[in-house]
Amino acid sequence: MRKYAVLLLRLLLGLVFVYAAYTKLRDPWTLFAMSIDSYRLLPEWGVITLARTLPWFELVLGLVLISGLALRYASVAGAALLGVFFIIMIISYARGLAIDCGCFGPGEALGPKTLLRDGTLVLLAIALAVMSIRPRLRV
Amino acid sequence: MKIPLLSATLLAMLLAVALAPAESPAKVTKVMGTPVSAITIEVFSDFQCPKCKALHETWMGPLINDYVRTGRAYLIQHEYPLPQHAYARTAACYACAADRVGKYGEVCDILFKKQQEWEKDGKVDETACSVLSPAEAAKVRALAKDPAIVAQVQKDVDLGMQDRVNSTPTVIVSYKGRHYPVDVMASYSSFTRFLDSLH
Repeated sequence: MRKYAVLLLRLLLGLVFVYAAYTKLRDPWTLFAMSIDSYRLLPEWGVITLARTLPWFELVLGLVLISGLALRYASVAGAALLGVFFIIMIISYARGLAIDCGCFGPGEALGPKTLLRDGTLVLLAIALAVMSIRPRLRV
Repeated sequence: MKIPLLSATLLAMLLAVALAPAESPAKVTKVMGTPVSAITIEVFSDFQCPKCKALHETWMGPLINDYVRTGRAYLIQHEYPLPQHAYARTAACYACAADRVGKYGEVCDILFKKQQEWEKDGKVDETACSVLSPAEAAKVRALAKDPAIVAQVQKDVDLGMQDRVNSTPTVIVSYKGRHYPVDVMASYSSFTRFLDSLH
């Protein structure tokens, strides 16, 4: 049962990461940089660096999750990444910023719907990470 | 003999240049620039929306100077009065009417500048006409109620709905057949970086 749950979760999260990467990489990176900049958390060099690298990291992470290789590390990395995104989104929403989420390309407002979706993804990613790590902890 | 003549000619040329009237920049209108520009920027805004005011006061001036007047972008400003804003549609009609008398920019500037005043008392007419001559004001007042202007505003709203505009301000950049909705809460420098990356 656990085996199938892990398979389902890693495929689901892997596809989510690959899709997130695709929606960013199909547009100029400068458009994603605008989304990052709208959060008003990073200096210009940070915005540029993140806009250029994050979509590729998401793509690699998604493919690694789908392949099932190094699942313990990939699942922890995925949970950590989604967790950071979620915390930033909550803080920005609490600050009253009417901005785009930037999660899956432009034009998607940050709001209860996106928070609920990303919160669910965080929970699923944590569940995958726990299931991937626990067998090793028992040894 | 030739030297004084040359000097006089040069002096005359310098005087002619100095005394020539300074070339004034093209007026701000609803539609600006050349349609053949590679980049088209469409702005959907509401005169009663605070974020539209912020966008107008931070992005629009530099955008017009840096990209529209230089021929790098074609700018279309659409009216998108939101139903919850009681005077936004009237303001939009005045702005469109002012466009017909070549005062769109001036009326937009004053409507946004005094937004917090007229949105309380509804004095759109007084605010818009304060930057017009009496003759222009009379023409704009009449035009603002003209069915053609009312229809023009509605056409902008319909276009926005068709483009799935669900908030204001919405800025859509079109380039080579692709449409990019941009996050207007980003800095102007981020926006110019994006525009520059399209060329």
